[in-house]
Amino acid sequence: MSVPPPDAITPESGEGPPGLYVHIPFCRSKCGYCAFTSYPCLPAPPADYLAACAQEASRIAASDWVQARQFATLFIGGGTPTIYAGEQLAGLIRELLARFAFVPDAEITVEANPNTVTREKLAQLRAAGVNRLSVGVQSFSDRLLSAIGRSHTQAEALAAIQAARAAGFENLNLDLIYGLPGQTLADLRESLTIAVDFSPEHLALYELMVEPGTPLAREVEEGRVTLPDDDAMAEMESKAQELLAGAGYQRYEIANFARPGCECRHNLNYWHNGSYVGLGAAAVSCLSGLRLKSVADPTRYAELVGKGEPPYVEAESLGLHARFRETVIMGLRLLEGVSLAELEARFGLTPRGYYGTTVERLVERGLLILNDDSMRLSEQALPVAHQVLAELV
Amino acid sequence: MVQLKNIRNFSIIAHIDHGKSTLADRLIQLCGMVTDREFQDQLLDNMEIERERGITIKSQTICLPYHAKDGQHYLLNLVDTPGHVDFSYEVSRALASCEGALLLVDAAQGVEAQTLANLYLAMEHDLEIIPVINKIDLPAADPEAIAAQITDDLGLEAEHIQKCSAKTGLGVDAILEAVVNYLPPPKGDPEAPLSALIFDAQYDSFRGTIISCRVFQGRVKAGDTILFLSNNATYRVEEVGFFRLHREPQPELAAGQVGYIIAGIKNISDTRAGDTITLKERPCATPLPGFKEAKQVVFSSIYPVSTDDYEALAAAIEKLTLNDAALTFQKDSSTALGFGFRCGFLGLLHLEVVQERLEREFDLSLILTVPSVNYHVTLNDGTNIEVDNPAYFPDPARIARIEEPFIKATIHMPERYMGGVMTLCMERRGVNTSYHYPLPGRLEFTCELPLAEVIYDFYDRLKSITQGYGSFDYEMLDYRESDLVKLDILVNGDKVDALSQLVHRSGARARGLAACERLKEEIPRQMFKIAIQAAIGGSIVARTNISALRKDVLAKCYGGDISRKRKLLEKQKAGKKRMKTVGNVEIPQSAFLAVLKSEQG
Ligand SMILES: Nc1nc2c(ncn2[C@@H]2O[C@H](COP(=O)(O)OP(=O)(O)OP(=O)(O)O)[C@@H](O)[C@H]2O)c(=O)[nH]1
Ligand code: SF4
Ligand SMILES: [Mg+2]
Repeated sequence: MSVPPPDAITPESGEGPPGLYVHIPFCRSKCGYCAFTSYPCLPAPPADYLAACAQEASRIAASDWVQARQFATLFIGGGTPTIYAGEQLAGLIRELLARFAFVPDAEITVEANPNTVTREKLAQLRAAGVNRLSVGVQSFSDRLLSAIGRSHTQAEALAAIQAARAAGFENLNLDLIYGLPGQTLADLRESLTIAVDFSPEHLALYELMVEPGTPLAREVEEGRVTLPDDDAMAEMESKAQELLAGAGYQRYEIANFARPGCECRHNLNYWHNGSYVGLGAAAVSCLSGLRLKSVADPTRYAELVGKGEPPYVEAESLGLHARFRETVIMGLRLLEGVSLAELEARFGLTPRGYYGTTVERLVERGLLILNDDSMRLSEQALPVAHQVLAELV
Repeated sequence: MVQLKNIRNFSIIAHIDHGKSTLADRLIQLCGMVTDREFQDQLLDNMEIERERGITIKSQTICLPYHAKDGQHYLLNLVDTPGHVDFSYEVSRALASCEGALLLVDAAQGVEAQTLANLYLAMEHDLEIIPVINKIDLPAADPEAIAAQITDDLGLEAEHIQKCSAKTGLGVDAILEAVVNYLPPPKGDPEAPLSALIFDAQYDSFRGTIISCRVFQGRVKAGDTILFLSNNATYRVEEVGFFRLHREPQPELAAGQVGYIIAGIKNISDTRAGDTITLKERPCATPLPGFKEAKQVVFSSIYPVSTDDYEALAAAIEKLTLNDAALTFQKDSSTALGFGFRCGFLGLLHLEVVQERLEREFDLSLILTVPSVNYHVTLNDGTNIEVDNPAYFPDPARIARIEEPFIKATIHMPERYMGGVMTLCMERRGVNTSYHYPLPGRLEFTCELPLAEVIYDFYDRLKSITQGYGSFDYEMLDYRESDLVKLDILVNGDKVDALSQLVHRSGARARGLAACERLKEEIPRQMFKIAIQAAIGGSIVARTNISALRKDVLAKCYGGDISRKRKLLEKQKAGKKRMKTVGNVEIPQSAFLAVLKSEQG
């Protein structure tokens, strides 16, 4: 498809430094709940895929848009990036760090899954400049792990975390999920307690989403699996927040907790609806308001990139109002909410002026808190954020 | 031009599902009207709802060329009609365009209620009748016994009975010969002043109203100026033609023929089924007899979900009434729902079909209020009023007497379901039950019931009790004295007028409770607690609560796929738009009809 070259884009005012994302769409096996773009591949992932990513990187890096900017973060996500050998991944990272200009203290994250890492592999990544590791633990219960079709065990998760610390990672995130089939409040408490014992700098606690078309969705539909009801979910959410707060973690986004100063800068940029470049299959780029999505099939992606063609399958450029609304709904995921001054500077709009009675009503109902500086969700609105955001989208 | 003696106009009539549309398929194929590629089962059932439900809703005319065994060429106008009782008005209008009818009887089921009802309609129109025993391929077929029913019970002559399988095609060619040899050709004088009967119409946004008519005298062609006798409207004819698979223009329509007229008619209310068309230059002396008014028995108000759609709904209803002459409407308004229309229907299936057609053909999203029957109310001062809308139910202190319509229900079923069906009828205030055995093991059960008790889920309940083996028919009986109260529903303390219903005092509390329970199921949990109450006069007779929604799932936005996340929220928002906000509470469309369903439904 034909899209405007990145150079033709006019920058949005008040925009911060962009992030860089690379998508690795391969895993050892497919988890039962997974709706991410990821394909099982054993014994080894295709080496030419990384080459294609590097090739796309060099094309994009040459554009004026990228040339004019310094990147604040690099994030290698998946899938399971660590399904590749340490040397392969480290090679890609070095290449990216060389081609793109980064700020001096850039945050460089790699996502890892427990049964794909060794201390040596992690040390190689660390040596290549990676300073943040995100481990997909999901749960420390073998029973629950197997209930959602994860391929790793509790022991492997523990080993992975220890290896990360041993390899010198001082900024560590653990991904956990709650609302798993058969999960009780006690199960969740146990997983959180184990996690907190490792003193990770960051914790992401997502609720399980039943995505249409996944094996999990089928199991739920056929009644073979029952999920905790929403009262139980609300209970888990509030107890988890309590436990994590007690251990010194601050909830700064609906599903993200961090030690002060250890918030994930890469994700913050998404929630601020900033700009970013995405490389790889199914990756999304957002270049000053122009959003591009690449083809999901990695083989097709490599083919297109190999021929020097843009790998995009979707493009979207929202109007000012739509971008304003989108910035509001993304920003409200953050507990500090959206800054009115920033919205005004970027869009020349204010929530009160734009939404009128819709916002007033939400404020009256105690779901939104609107003061002179910011607008944010109330404590009471966090568990039902989806409902509130649907009024503002 | 085809001579009158070589034209045959006939309908296929029968009880529901006896195979009319399937026989029409075979006749169409025998006449070589469709290629194999164009063919599909029940070819004339071309509306989406007809295909989904597997029943005919609209009568449909098709003009077939037939080369008979006598060596002559004939023009056959075949009308496939619906069998369901709610659409019998379609049948009676179709019959006005015919000289004869094929009366189908299912070889296994035998004569049923609508077999008789449609036979009487055909006799009222003085039609010649050919009885056809269909489905003789079925293992349970008993053509001899059915033939005896036809001669003994229906009083038709044995010599013309045809036996066929519309499914396999066996015996179908003989039917075409019988049509040609036994049914009379139309009479009429092509040279006389034009008189043509409008029996149906349809609105086309490009060409205006397309009139279906039967020409009785004279002729009409493009360029003529036609005159509608009922309102003196005149139009210049643009095109006339026959109904083939599609409309097929012809040089003219002459006495005896059935076809369409297009005359750039954009003013929808000018065209009325039953009106007579003539020529302005040379008008006919008297109008044709026309049609009896259809008698609506079920009433409900239709509102657009979005109040902005009121004008669109008004235009849609007007267009639909062209094609559905049995639908009546007048303006209505509700505090909860804004402006809408009070509509009259011939039955519940008719109501459902109208709702679906409005939603699909005109792309509207609608709310229908609880259906009601028409009550006769005598006030203390002696005045008589009719009430079919709970909103206009007078203050009980002013009411001297109320009467409600009763029906005679006829239920056919295997004997073993007798107990369950009897209980159902008792629950619904049935009286004067009786039964007999038309065939061994098969029971015909009759019962007098208040119409109000069957208009919603009676048929669903009957089906489930009889595991699908029960069939149900009814005829209107009379009005009888009754003790009614108005049951109101309050949502978070606000009365929702569109949910009010008139119910018998004896069952009011139970109805109120059932309505509360149904609403509890239909209204999604919201961010606050919702109280639902049922009240009679000022006093609460039932209540229930919907607890506040405590938790929902917010999708994570992985790798910056913000668009996907936004689209999920937009979908949720669109869903909210299809709900009606009453006070603070969002009530889905479906809730408005659901209140009438019983808990077992
Ligand atoms: N075995 C058998 N089945 C038949 C025959 N004729 C029709 N059917 C079946 O009977 C069912 C009803 O047929 P239709 O032609 O739709 O019946 P209808 O009389 O047009 O029904 P309505 O228009 O709803 O009143 C369908 O499933 C047909 O396939 C037949 O001769 N033999
Ligand atoms: S590891 Fe993650 S990306 Fe891979 S299949 Fe499981 S859930 Fe999907
Ligand atoms: Mg039919």
